[in-house]
Amino acid sequence: MSDHDPTGSPLRALRFTLNGDAAAVDVDPRETLFDTLRERLRLTGTKGACLEGECGSCTVLLDGAPVTACLVTSLQVEGRAVVTVEGLAQGAQLSALQAAFVRAGAVQCGYCTPGLLVAATALLRDNPSPNVDDVRRGLAGNLCRCTGYTKIIDAVLDAARTTQDESGVGERAAGARA
Amino acid sequence: MYHRPASLDEALALKHHLGASASFLAGGTDLVVGVRKGKAPPSALIDLSLIAALTELRHEGDRLRIGAMCTHARLERSGVAALAAACETVGGPQIRNLGTVGGQLGTASPAGDVSVALIALDAEVELASVRGVRTFALADLFVGPGRTVMAPDELVLAVTVPTSRRSAFYKIGKRDAVAISLVMAAASVGSDGRVAIGLGCVAPVPMRARRAEAHLAAHGLSAATLDAAADLVAAEVSPISDHRGGADYRRAMAATLTRRLLSGLC
Repeated sequence: MSDHDPTGSPLRALRFTLNGDAAAVDVDPRETLFDTLRERLRLTGTKGACLEGECGSCTVLLDGAPVTACLVTSLQVEGRAVVTVEGLAQGAQLSALQAAFVRAGAVQCGYCTPGLLVAATALLRDNPSPNVDDVRRGLAGNLCRCTGYTKIIDAVLDAARTTQDESGVGERAAGARA
Repeated sequence: MYHRPASLDEALALKHHLGASASFLAGGTDLVVGVRKGKAPPSALIDLSLIAALTELRHEGDRLRIGAMCTHARLERSGVAALAAACETVGGPQIRNLGTVGGQLGTASPAGDVSVALIALDAEVELASVRGVRTFALADLFVGPGRTVMAPDELVLAVTVPTSRRSAFYKIGKRDAVAISLVMAAASVGSDGRVAIGLGCVAPVPMRARRAEAHLAAHGLSAATLDAAADLVAAEVSPISDHRGGADYRRAMAATLTRRLLSGLC
């Protein structure tokens, strides 16, 4: 990365919590969290499709709330906590939700999957026993062009059932809501 | 340049000093997309997220005072029916966690769902600058698409809405979520029986249906006056045709939504 962007803005130091760990990176004052995560921190799990907040592919948790990283100016996360899809698993141990996506065949091309997993993680944290309508509403900000959503919804409902049995997994992944 | 002032006074002084080319940054849902799509980037960003006074949401007598940085997600739980319903329909969960009421008002989109709900609640807006605070009816804020009466160094500080009015909001869009509205309407009734009606996407600004309101003030809100009020709405809107919908359709739906809202509030 160069020290300056093409318009000549000097880079600024950014410190925040990323997937539970302290992170420090120099960013352009106008770049978005999406670009910082992928281009500077090389966390390429977060995907970008529309880059205007309409598809949900770049969903991350900001202080526990799902947001589209393409709309967040990176310096706005100073001192705050960000969780990306990379932060959902515990090492090699998939979260209950991730495991349920695999079991249900809720992944086709995979491009929307990271955003869906992050959004659904927040959904299940806030509502551990959702019904189908709750899941549809909670995932209304995420577009998938492959699956028709049925298996995604099945996976979230399955994860809710599984997590009831093995309580704690989803909560650890989601972190505390501010 | 990027600034993150810790106080309102500091933010207002910065904007006064930096001028019209600098921009306040609230939720970023409009500003960031605009820059990515090629709009000239602001010469400076003044991030408002540290200013505690702007995120306050509190009851003051019979009104709810909503700080400009309150997000749509928070206002979904505000308990004010039309406002909560409008906020629930904005974007998807991710957008509602970012977008703010002040950002929406400052953007002055004729398709602003929350703006329509607020004007139908007879909201007042408070604008702040280095010269002080001025307060007036929110419906008078808007002068055209993307244009307001705000001075270049003014900031939306808060809006206040009465909590005692019964209210409702309806919206028509292409899909339930993440769709710009095609038509929306909101209405409220006070304990004195006076009706306020707000309409969106049917004029260059979020508008009050003044003629329909005047008719209801003269003749009362009842099943017998619904048709006339709806007809007056159809007559006083001035929608355009675009790729989302035709003017005739918008006009008809403005009347239909108004009739439906009012019949629920009778």
